[in-house]
Amino acid sequence: MTGTKPKNNTAPRQQKQKEQTEKPKGIRKKFRVFSARSGLDMPFLFLVLTLLIIGLIMLFSASFANALYRHGSSYFFISRQAFFAVLGVAAMIAISYFDYHHLHKFAIPILLFSYMLLAIVLFMKPISGVHRWISLGPLGQFQPSELAKFALILVFSHLISLNFKRMDTFRYGVLPYILILGSMTGLMVLEPHVSATVICVLLAAVMLFIGGVRLRWFGLAFGGAGAVVAYLVLFTKKFSYANDRIIAWLDPFSNASKAIMEDTWQTRQSLYAIGSGGLLGLGLGQSRQKYLYLPEPQNDFIFAIVCEELGFIGALIIIILFAMLVWRGISISLKAKDKFGMLLGIGLVVQVGLQVVLNIAVVTNTIPNTGISLPFFSYGGTSLVLLLAEMGVVLSISRTSAIEKT
Amino acid sequence: MAKGTTIRMWRRTVFVLLALIVVGFGAIIFSLAKLQLVEGSSLQTRAVDQQLKDTSFSAQRGTIYDCNMKPLAESASVWKVVLEPAFITDKNREVIADGLSKILGMDKNEIIKRSMKKTYYDELKRKVETDVKDQIIQFKVDHKIDSGIRLIEDYKRYYPYGEFAAPVLGFTGTDNQGLYGLEKQYDSYLTGVPGKLVTAKNAIGTDMPFQYEQKVNAQNGDSLVLTIDEVVQHFLEKNMAEGVVENKVGNRACAIVMNVKTGAILGMAVKGDFDPNNPFAVADKEEAAKIAAMPEGDAKKAALKAAQEKQWRNKSISDTYYPGSVFKMVTGSSAMEEGVVNESTPFFCGGSIKVAGQTIHCWRSRGHGSENFVQGLCNSCNPVFVQIGEKLGPQRFFKYFSAFGFTSKTGIDLPGEPLRTIYYTPDKLNPVELATESFGQNFSITPIQMITAIAAVSNGGYLVQPHVVSQILDEDGNIVKTADTTPKRQVISADTSARMCKILQTNATIGTAKNGYLPGYRIGGKTGTSQKMDVKQKTGVMQYIASYGGFAPADDPQVAMLVFFDEPHGNSYYGAAVAGPVFAKTMEEILPYLGVQRKYTDTELAKLDVKAPDVVGKTIDEAKSALSKQKLTPKIYGSGTKIVSQVPEAGKTIPQNGTMVLFTDEKSSDTTVTVPKLVGLSLPAVNKAAANAGLNISITGAALTGTNPVSNSQSIAEGTKVPPGTVVVVGFIEPNQVE
Repeated sequence: MTGTKPKNNTAPRQQKQKEQTEKPKGIRKKFRVFSARSGLDMPFLFLVLTLLIIGLIMLFSASFANALYRHGSSYFFISRQAFFAVLGVAAMIAISYFDYHHLHKFAIPILLFSYMLLAIVLFMKPISGVHRWISLGPLGQFQPSELAKFALILVFSHLISLNFKRMDTFRYGVLPYILILGSMTGLMVLEPHVSATVICVLLAAVMLFIGGVRLRWFGLAFGGAGAVVAYLVLFTKKFSYANDRIIAWLDPFSNASKAIMEDTWQTRQSLYAIGSGGLLGLGLGQSRQKYLYLPEPQNDFIFAIVCEELGFIGALIIIILFAMLVWRGISISLKAKDKFGMLLGIGLVVQVGLQVVLNIAVVTNTIPNTGISLPFFSYGGTSLVLLLAEMGVVLSISRTSAIEKT
Repeated sequence: MAKGTTIRMWRRTVFVLLALIVVGFGAIIFSLAKLQLVEGSSLQTRAVDQQLKDTSFSAQRGTIYDCNMKPLAESASVWKVVLEPAFITDKNREVIADGLSKILGMDKNEIIKRSMKKTYYDELKRKVETDVKDQIIQFKVDHKIDSGIRLIEDYKRYYPYGEFAAPVLGFTGTDNQGLYGLEKQYDSYLTGVPGKLVTAKNAIGTDMPFQYEQKVNAQNGDSLVLTIDEVVQHFLEKNMAEGVVENKVGNRACAIVMNVKTGAILGMAVKGDFDPNNPFAVADKEEAAKIAAMPEGDAKKAALKAAQEKQWRNKSISDTYYPGSVFKMVTGSSAMEEGVVNESTPFFCGGSIKVAGQTIHCWRSRGHGSENFVQGLCNSCNPVFVQIGEKLGPQRFFKYFSAFGFTSKTGIDLPGEPLRTIYYTPDKLNPVELATESFGQNFSITPIQMITAIAAVSNGGYLVQPHVVSQILDEDGNIVKTADTTPKRQVISADTSARMCKILQTNATIGTAKNGYLPGYRIGGKTGTSQKMDVKQKTGVMQYIASYGGFAPADDPQVAMLVFFDEPHGNSYYGAAVAGPVFAKTMEEILPYLGVQRKYTDTELAKLDVKAPDVVGKTIDEAKSALSKQKLTPKIYGSGTKIVSQVPEAGKTIPQNGTMVLFTDEKSSDTTVTVPKLVGLSLPAVNKAAANAGLNISITGAALTGTNPVSNSQSIAEGTKVPPGTVVVVGFIEPNQVE
């Protein structure tokens, strides 16, 4: 959410300077506070709101037992989340009216701001042994990595669209991105925050790939990344906690040791919940696993409760809605007026798509357990607001997009 | 170049989109399908296992009733004290452990230790009585403890009569499971189905705010109605216990009373048994003391186990023995049925008989001389039965041996009946074998087999199915099952059976079995003294089993009884002297209870007691003449002129030629006399002692038919003060009666 505020404050003042530079060059546009073309993309908005509403309903269902036992009120989580949802929707609609081209100017400041937060967070009191959250007092916890992901997408879109013709060179097409990605993920590894690191790397890869980087750099990058990961896993203890998770991943029902049992508790409970759902589910509100079996069912593992209550059919519908959201977002972006909008839109919806896939893959124990929240579903006020703001950016892009908007 | 998307960007985007949709979304959909559709049910089972709290509560075990619905074994509510460590906090742990350790008499530290377990169910103590439960409830109230201690209803088995028909009833284990006797045999009926309360629970074990609760009511066990009659059993137990003491029985004793027409067991007593309320305690005090004195170790454990198994063993169906002379009624019946002998067939006994070069002795070494079949049986003469066996031949002998049920289990509904597969088939019955088997030696059977054969001999020839359970009733009293009393087969004809009854009645009246005689009750019987050859081979000392098998009344047999003392070491080891009197005493007590009427023969009538005439209010002369008519002697107390009271009272029995005491004034009627010792005396000595004391005696037992009877019981104890003229019943036996 911090990412959206500076824009509101600074945009009007810079209005005049921008107007002249718009026309001649391909990337620079005529300055407008509001997006020129009228309509925003209704299908995309509909998908966002549908997922948000389903997400809120499921959050309430999944969280009320835990809320009652741990916080004394069934509404503890849902009331907070609903507040942020309203805030987020308002932000989304507002942002959709702003011309996304203004974001060019914020790319570098937001990146620097993210670096700052990523550095600050390392000095925060660790929660469960990791430094990922900055406390915002009554507003809850804020994860700098969430903002960093947005910063990454924004700065990559910004740079690629500016240097599009030189993308096949190392100096302009590879080096800056490697430096940004390396420094950013380096800070994340210090937290440590593996899932955010993975998402950043994947997002960067997708954007550079679409941006036109030569394929051989990807070969080199994969080779290098593999070597780094192998080194970290084999010769340092940096990833030792991730190591245990891999053991737990391979056999979640193992009762070989108490440590592993405790480690796999969440995964096992998740699988019990998913399995209990069967084809049609136990019915909305009927989950049993949410009764303190599945730890924090309102967070990363909320989808297990969704599966338990709504069954395979319900889960499939939600996954299809997400897929449609990604599809629609990419379609909007492909028809965007310029490369900046196109890359920005794709980056944002691919981020949502990746989070959905990785989250559900964790919940189903398809990949080892790592903390990835499910967009629109998982509890977390600031991250929901940020997500909706990002969707607002996509909607803003859709206003200039040549797509059919009904 | 284009401002917007280039072709390459478009292609690459489509590639990314497809990769994300196909690989990413495809993989998660595949995972979900696998988990929810393929592995769903097994995962759900695991989930349900942890989500459901399954509390079971016991079913009430069925009652065991006697034939008159008196409960012989019943279950009463007790309580299970369960600790719920999950709900015990560090604050109240100390208080709970302290309180429970005091109430339950357990170690406090142990309770503390168990209260720290990570569970919500830990059985602390079982079968706690209601008063202890009330103490715990009070303790919870006093200390405001809402959770952490739970009381669950349970049941405990009670046997209200204690050491009573114990090997028949058996006993149950700590989980109310039948371990022995009927409790084991009918366990599946008695147990019932435990109830279940299934509630959903959350991860910390408390009930969920959730509608999932399913109660399956306990289905209480079925009840058994036995054929055993508590009254009959009571007399049997009492008389057998006395018999065991009196005859210094070394290896336990048993007795069976059977309804000859249905095979229903009315009583089955084993002495040297146990209290089913406490089956693991050794009931034999000497034995218990001996084991207690042993040093701890395997030897002690083994001794304890042996003693327990011995006392649990139902001797009357599990022990095998040589039936001895009691078996002669089977040999005799077979021979009569086959027509090879009749009542008057002549035999000769010279004290021994040679069979295939081997000499077989009669118990009476000087022999019985010439005798017919009836006399031979009454004398229990071995040479007579050796000759009868010869006449029958191995084929026919075995045919009846098998027909009377000696080659198979009786199938009584009690556990522990051995199946004997080793017996002599006709081809193996060589002359010596046949000769010894004819008088009941050299083959082993169980007492229950013997009494079933006795029933067949007496009841018109039918082999009945012995059984102890007549009906099984469900919780609401509906009949679940009724015993089948159809006879298995007819072994001998009704005619042969009737003739055999008569012969055995003669035997019980004047023959070797006369210690079982009871005037008026038409007892038929046969004595038996079995030699325990196996013991002799092992120890060099011969031991005996004294038995008496009989039935009554002989003209229409109702009940059969077999009395069996293993290794008597008293004055005699013969069936006639050891088992006969116990048989008679028990029959005398149970026959009137079972409604069998006395019917006297002329000889019996001649010796029978008469009824005292009513002479109260009459003058002395009138009374004297009334008494002389009945050959009674008057004895007058007091100085009045009219009779004010009399002993015995009018209508009460008085022996023929007895003395009636007449009181002529109030003061004189306060006179009392002291009952002397009347046991262990000959008939004349008893008469003399009674006359000296001014008492009347009524004699019973072998004195009426015997040659040399000795008294063995008196109805009023020695030293009791009674009015003069009171009638004391004195029982006689023939202590020297052999066989």
